[in-house]
Amino acid sequence: MSALGRLRGAAFALLAAASVALAAGLPGESIYQLEAQLTTQHGLHAGLDLERGHPTLIAMFYGSCPAACPMLIDAMQAYEGDLDPAARARLRVLLVSFDAARDTPAQLERLARLHRADPARWTFASAGERDTRRIAALLGVSYRKLPDGDYEHSLLITLLDGEGRILASTTRLVGDADFAAKLSAATRPGTQ
Amino acid sequence: MRRAALLLIALLPGLAAAGGDLNPPNPFLEVPGAKLRSALPLAGDEAVPVQPFQLQRHPVTNAEFLAFVTAHPRWRRGAVPAALAGEDYLSQWAGPLDPGAHAPAAQPVTRVSWFAAEAYCDAEHARLPDWYEWELAAAASPTVRDARADPAWRQQILDWYAHPGGKGLAAVEGDSASVYGLHDLHGLVWEWVRDFNSLLPPGADPEKFCGATALNARQKEDYAVLMRIALLSSLRAADTGRLLGFRCARDGGGAS
Repeated sequence: MSALGRLRGAAFALLAAASVALAAGLPGESIYQLEAQLTTQHGLHAGLDLERGHPTLIAMFYGSCPAACPMLIDAMQAYEGDLDPAARARLRVLLVSFDAARDTPAQLERLARLHRADPARWTFASAGERDTRRIAALLGVSYRKLPDGDYEHSLLITLLDGEGRILASTTRLVGDADFAAKLSAATRPGTQ
Repeated sequence: MRRAALLLIALLPGLAAAGGDLNPPNPFLEVPGAKLRSALPLAGDEAVPVQPFQLQRHPVTNAEFLAFVTAHPRWRRGAVPAALAGEDYLSQWAGPLDPGAHAPAAQPVTRVSWFAAEAYCDAEHARLPDWYEWELAAAASPTVRDARADPAWRQQILDWYAHPGGKGLAAVEGDSASVYGLHDLHGLVWEWVRDFNSLLPPGADPEKFCGATALNARQKEDYAVLMRIALLSSLRAADTGRLLGFRCARDGGGAS
């Protein structure tokens, strides 16, 4: 093997070691295995795993959505509202927009305020087109951009444990007792 | 180094036609834009406008995918996390870096998840084709751009759907090229598309879709396409399939 070949081999070995180190301890089935880049309502860049260590509700939406998405956000607030305050304090919420072009950080912040989302625990974010597609694929959310700029999409709320494993999901905006029970179990003390 | 090897193969046309041993080049070919009468119309029955795009000549082969996993260890069998590829990922290969005797170089790679296919295309500065792009490209025969009204052409496709992969996989480019110069859009493997999980209306049941719509299908060739749509819609992104491969696409260069 040439010197160049040896150098390339060493570089690949280093990269492999680095990627293993980054994912240290992360279970194989965790959705945080996906390396995606989010931009939050504060204009900060973060990975999909920004809430690692906390049970998290995650869903996809877009800001210009006339009815379904406000209902989705209300539903998430209702599910977390049924938790006792200590449990709720352990929970994080991540909303990822389909529509990075229109859902700028300023717009996401406006939406957060509109819904009076708890700024300590709720993150509204967008991602590039490719990462949005990959996050949706990971969660099982279907969406299609329509010619007028709106999105046709499914509604899904997913519950993750502290390591990003999917514990439960629901398409029901209200009254999913099984989902509520799993949410309660996930936010008990010491279960992160 | 891989590019040099492919260039060498391109200069030796006789070798490129050999059975499973050597891998033919897989360039991106231009497909002009068009208004597509789709099995999945947007609003009402309107034709769907498809922008010009580029599509690889054949499905990605074992040799091509081997070069990818060699350069990207994260996507090797055994290294890829379960969230991104199911347990059958590349199970037909002899080893993580060895396709082996049951996965000849020039046969399409299969048992790759959507995430792996997507990552391969991204590494090629490309992407997976969208459904409408695939449908447009696949409507072409060796002589016409839209052969879907040709009964003989339709029957050929339906014959494969009756026994997909019955004789096992074959090397790519064993069929006649379509007018676009593309091979193997029918008759070899199913192929991932970028928007596989967004083909049906949200919440739709693929089985109900297939049943109801097939009964209403205006033309018989729609049945073959509907089966493909139902298959793709039933998949999850980490799934793999024995007959499920892919090829990459790029946005068009402006040709019309």
